[in-house]
Order: sequence, then structure tokens, then C-alpha cells
Amino acid sequence: MKFKDYYEALGVGRDASEEEIKKAYRRLARKFHPDISKEAGAEERFKEISEAYGTLSDPDKRQAYNELGRHQAGEDFRPPPGWDSRFWQGQSHGEVDLADLFEQMGFHASQRQARPDFPMRGQDIEAVAQLSLEEVARGTEVSLERQVPQRRPDGSLGRQNQIVRIRVPKGVTEGERLRIPARGGPGSGGGPPGDVYLDIHLKPHRLFQAVGHDLYLQLPVTPWEAALGGEIEVPTLDGRVRLTVQAGAQTGQKLRLAGKGLPRRKEGAGDLYGVLQIVTPKQIGEREQELYRELASASSFDPRQSFFAGASHD
Amino acid sequence: MTDDVLIPADAESRVDLAELLAASGLAEAEVLELVEFGVLESHGSVSGWSFQARVVHQARRAATLRDTFGLNTPGMALALTYLERIEALEQRLRELQCLLPR
Repeated sequence: MKFKDYYEALGVGRDASEEEIKKAYRRLARKFHPDISKEAGAEERFKEISEAYGTLSDPDKRQAYNELGRHQAGEDFRPPPGWDSRFWQGQSHGEVDLADLFEQMGFHASQRQARPDFPMRGQDIEAVAQLSLEEVARGTEVSLERQVPQRRPDGSLGRQNQIVRIRVPKGVTEGERLRIPARGGPGSGGGPPGDVYLDIHLKPHRLFQAVGHDLYLQLPVTPWEAALGGEIEVPTLDGRVRLTVQAGAQTGQKLRLAGKGLPRRKEGAGDLYGVLQIVTPKQIGEREQELYRELASASSFDPRQSFFAGASHD
Repeated sequence: MTDDVLIPADAESRVDLAELLAASGLAEAEVLELVEFGVLESHGSVSGWSFQARVVHQARRAATLRDTFGLNTPGMALALTYLERIEALEQRLRELQCLLPR
């Protein structure tokens, strides 16, 4: 099995006291807890430190871990002879994950001591799906490949690959969590199975930004389109539509296309907002310059009129 | 090996207290207190309480925070309130960012 350095994960020495281990864990948890940190990789890191703390905070598990000896993190190693039978019944197979081993160990101990048929709820399966706007708009299916801890008939532990397919109904959006009750890991001792949780995240889209079920689209228009008004063609998730820009349109103005956002669960859909942005060409030709100059002399429009209205000084 | 496609619970569906406790790992007294704080919303009378599906996620979050930071129930209530407020503000921020030229 692969070695994990739990002391290193918590940043403490091998001789750290229980109190020091707890402090280190709290400090790191505050930094990497997924509800607190938005840093990339925080969730992985949090799992790592939680796994390390789960083992090192329990005196029996810590002793068992210590007796595995010191190895490089990630190094393939075998527990010393007799380790298996001393700390738990059964054998640890080559591909077993340390996390499963120590989790089962606690369970095993309580099972031996008190209630032989102590029912344990199965593990929850939690996953994140990164979906495109098109996928959430029409509904989709995601496949997860999970490794689930498995007890073999001879009592040994291993991991089995399991493909889990989940139907994502249309109408979900950013941050939504789907729950599939009772389809997680199997329970033991007559306990119920765990649940499956799927967190929905939307992949960034080239054109649209989603807020809830509404979509936003930056809509650049030329100065003359804004001044004169007119029809422009805009993309939506299901094809192009023509949109009327009123004469005298302004930057920042929101043009609403009702029902062209993301569909909702039951019926209806959010809206699509085109956010107008008047853009001027960075470079213009001679003829255009001429026309702009002509416009400048013909127009009395002064957008800065209010600056000095009523001001007698300067 | 499961080969069937799993269908998520409907967002409108309700869970009872027993299911909420099993799914979240919160104790009954903690759920009662979080309902009293107005953080978790329940329907019906205590004997036949039901909860909206989203409450399962709130309760799981509360339990994780409790386990990680050793929070008591008022601590969980406060953390959940703040997290939900932050999320509402983040949503509002995203909305406003959509109005800015990119």
C-alpha cells in the first residue's frame, strides 16, 4: 500500500502532543475548509488534513500508524509482520488505501468490544459535476467512477471500482446540490446505505454568464446603432434572435429577452439580458473622420453639460 | 456494479426528521435548536416535522463545521447564517459584474 505521512500533512513532529495535533488541525482546517476557502485545491487539502487528523487524534490508531514505520509519502510499503493481526482482524491487501484501513479499524474495535451487530450507515458519495450551460439547459447525465471500500469474503479490505451514472434534470444551476438517497456505499451490520451527493458547477461560457437562471450577454453596438436604433442579431442558447435597439440607446442599458435564460425545473425559464456597450472603432479611415467632424459641428449634444452648470468661478 | 441511472430526489420533495438526522449526522437536539434559531426551516408539528430537500444540505454543512471546529449549536447557527449571507452577496456581485464591460 501507499504510504501517507499524516504528521507532515498536519505539519507537526512525530512527538507532537494530542493538544498540538488538535491545534494544528484547527489552524489548517480554518484555512482550507471548503466553506471558508475558495482557493483551488483547498477541498483536496482539507480531505488530506481531515484524514490525517482522523488517525492521529485517536490514540489507538496513532499507535498503529506509528508502528507502520517511517516511509516516504507515496512510497509502496508493507506493514511490519504481525501488524495486521495486532491492530485488526484480517489482512490488508496490497492495494488498500490507508484511509479505509484506519476508518475500518475504529469501527472494528467498537464492534469487538460492545455490540457485535452494531449497525453502521454506509459512506456517502460526494462528487462535483462541471457542466456547460447547454448541458444544464436540456438536462444531462454524468458518470462518476468511484472507488468504494469493499470487504472481501475472506475479511480483507480492498477497493472496487464502481461506475455511478446520475441523471441531471434540466433546470439545475450553479451551486445546486443534488441528492440521491440510499444509493451511496452499502451499510454494515444491518445499517442503511449512504447517500449520493452531486454538486453542480457551471463551466464558463464564451458568451453568456449565468446568475441563477438568468443569463447575461455583453452586447456591443456601434455609436450609430445606438443613436439611430435598429435591429441587431443576438445569440441565445437555442439559436439567433433579432432584437430591437431603441434610438438613443445607452451603455449599460439592459435589454431583456424574456424566457431566453436557463430553463427552470418545472416550467418556464429565466431571462436573457443583453447589456449594451457602445463601442467606437479604435482606428478610422479618412472618410469616417470627415463624417465624424461633420457630425461634431452639426451636433449640440454635450454630455458634460452639468459639470459647470451654475458655476461662476473657474 | 450498478448499471442503472440514478435519479436525484426532487428539489420539492420533503424529508422527515429521521432522514434528516441520518443524512446529516446532527443530533435531534441540535436540529431542534437550529430550527428555534430560525436557521433550519421545518414544516408541520415537531412529532411530524418535514423539511425541504435543501435543509439536508444546510444540516450536513452545519455538522461538518461542528466536527471540524468543535462548534456548539449557536456557533453552527451563526456560521450558517453568515455563509448564506456571503453566498447571497456573491450572487449579487456576480450579477453586478455582468453589467460591467469586459
